[in-house]
Amino acid sequence: MSTPWRTLDPRTPLVHCAWLGAPLGSLALTALATGGRLDTRAWITLGVVAAVFACVTTAGLITWRRTRYRVTADSFELRTGLFTRRLRAIPLHRVRNVDLTANPVQRLLGLAVLRAGTGGHGGELSLEALARPDAVRLRAELLARAGARDAAEPLLAAADLRRLRYAPLTFWVFGGVLAAAGAVWRVLDGIGVEPWRIGLVRHAFEEFGRSALWLTVPFALLAVTLLGVVGAVALYAENWWNYRLEWADADTLRVRRGMFTTRSVSIERARLRGVTLREPLLLRAGGGASVRAVAGGLGNREENRRRSVVLPPAPRAEAVRVCAGVLGEAEGPLGGPLGRSGEDGAADGLRPHPRAALRRRVVRALAWAVPLPTAALAVLGWLLTPVLLYCAAGYALLAAPVAYGLARDAYRGLGHGVRGRHLVVRSGTFGRETTVLERRAVQAWTFTDTPFGRRAGLVTATAAVAGGEDGYRIRDMSADDAAAFADAATPGILAEFIVPPVPR
Amino acid sequence: MAAHRHHPQAGLRPPRHAVDPRARRWWTVQALLTLSGPLLLTAVALLVLALLFFPGALPWLGPLLLVVLVLPALGYLLVMPRLRYRVHAWELGESSVYTASGWYRQRRRIAPLSRVQTVDTTRGPLQQAFGLATVTVTTASTAGAVRIAGLSDADARLLAERVADAARLIPGDAS
Repeated sequence: MSTPWRTLDPRTPLVHCAWLGAPLGSLALTALATGGRLDTRAWITLGVVAAVFACVTTAGLITWRRTRYRVTADSFELRTGLFTRRLRAIPLHRVRNVDLTANPVQRLLGLAVLRAGTGGHGGELSLEALARPDAVRLRAELLARAGARDAAEPLLAAADLRRLRYAPLTFWVFGGVLAAAGAVWRVLDGIGVEPWRIGLVRHAFEEFGRSALWLTVPFALLAVTLLGVVGAVALYAENWWNYRLEWADADTLRVRRGMFTTRSVSIERARLRGVTLREPLLLRAGGGASVRAVAGGLGNREENRRRSVVLPPAPRAEAVRVCAGVLGEAEGPLGGPLGRSGEDGAADGLRPHPRAALRRRVVRALAWAVPLPTAALAVLGWLLTPVLLYCAAGYALLAAPVAYGLARDAYRGLGHGVRGRHLVVRSGTFGRETTVLERRAVQAWTFTDTPFGRRAGLVTATAAVAGGEDGYRIRDMSADDAAAFADAATPGILAEFIVPPVPR
Repeated sequence: MAAHRHHPQAGLRPPRHAVDPRARRWWTVQALLTLSGPLLLTAVALLVLALLFFPGALPWLGPLLLVVLVLPALGYLLVMPRLRYRVHAWELGESSVYTASGWYRQRRRIAPLSRVQTVDTTRGPLQQAFGLATVTVTTASTAGAVRIAGLSDADARLLAERVADAARLIPGDAS
């Protein structure tokens, strides 16, 4: 007897109506802005919208009608296609992760999209969309067949409102305001409204020009910052609402999060190679950190970066604890002395890098940050106004110590070491990352150097793993120690090529 | 396949076998096609244009073209293949495959045979003309693929076979 085929939820095609919102909304705005008179352009837009809507809805209806799925005794099968019928099947024991997602419209309709992946490239089936209870049941059914066991201590971290205070310490404070402004501008431009023609806007700009600039410019900056903070907090809340990081069973790490769009990512333990503790400059200054899993089977590099985040910006101590939990160790490789903020390179147990690495960073920072902008300002000042000459001098005086400080910080951040069954690598100043890799996950070693590096006795060693960024670099380590360190971290790979130390 | 005259780098001795000497000519032609050729052509075209239309510009344009286009093009054409030939080398060890490559930025890569997933041999049209081949040994990590360019056909065939055999014999998880 064969298992009957099941269909997608009948509400699925309704979701396609949602995208009508944006064009119709903008048309309504146009109508408002022009006082109800729609020009030819608007009518053409309306016609195109109607035509596209008809096509999309038809396509959606056909897809919905022609898609069938079923779970047989040993495989998960999906049949699709109108003219070319396509049958895809994944063996149940190969199913590695089952994710449920829903965009706001799907949530409103009580639908969810189910994705079942095998962890390999392209081995993914997705059902768009099922009624949420059905989707949850199907996921349980699929995962149950994968022969899962329960984890000893499942919950690693859950949502915590107090973490919202780290939201303003992200890039989105200013980047978000710029992105939002750009989007508004494009929408207005798209529907034929020229913002500078609107009386209110022009009036505001004229007033701004006439006002006392020393007062209004800082005020405007403050307003933009406040707007950015609000935006960043909102974004953080949307992304990390109902956040839960847990071992769904002994072999599956699962992250669930999201307010309007719910996301759920499952990572198989066998594909987990390690974790990365991320401390961008601002977040580090605020004592925070976020955590990313180094894992394979999460899609391409871009998708991997998006899906591998297991802890949003949070207090550093908590991040360190989550790292240990993900690695499945009570006292993680980041615990102990490294659990402190790790400002002093030597005290945290990681090997510092040679002084030549510091020289390199200082020279680079000073060479890139100081001369060019100073020269540009000076030339402009010479051509236009002497005020810029003072600016050039001021910039040089200010930028040199800042660049030097950042270079020193970058050097202090460098470190590598072996902790139990893990390899620990740390680098970066703007985006400091401490990566913990399982030693036996290392697939290959690469040593890279340039003539300058060779003269300074520096080499960059790269550990290759299958997952995350694929290659993790130990930048500018001592050339004399590199091979010995790699050999100690991963015995057996390169021992036969090492030259015995020559007595001097 | 002479032993390599090269200082140890990063505590590693260089791989035992040099690539085929014909690789030098292959790299020279590559340099001509990709960088040096276009640069020299640009220089010639600009000079001809200047001769025809702006003879007055020659006194400063000539030296400028020489420094910006001609010298870098010739330098790359003459230096890169030689340096590459000195650096490029390979060795199939007991448990790992080991390569050195690059000319300015030099790279040594070691991948254990137990992690080998595939062994590919490729011959581009230029390589075919010179009787050369490239062997690529892939692992599950894109940062772990070992690529040996400029082998003679015979060496490439032998190496591909031996890597495949060794990878079969040495147990390991190729994940």
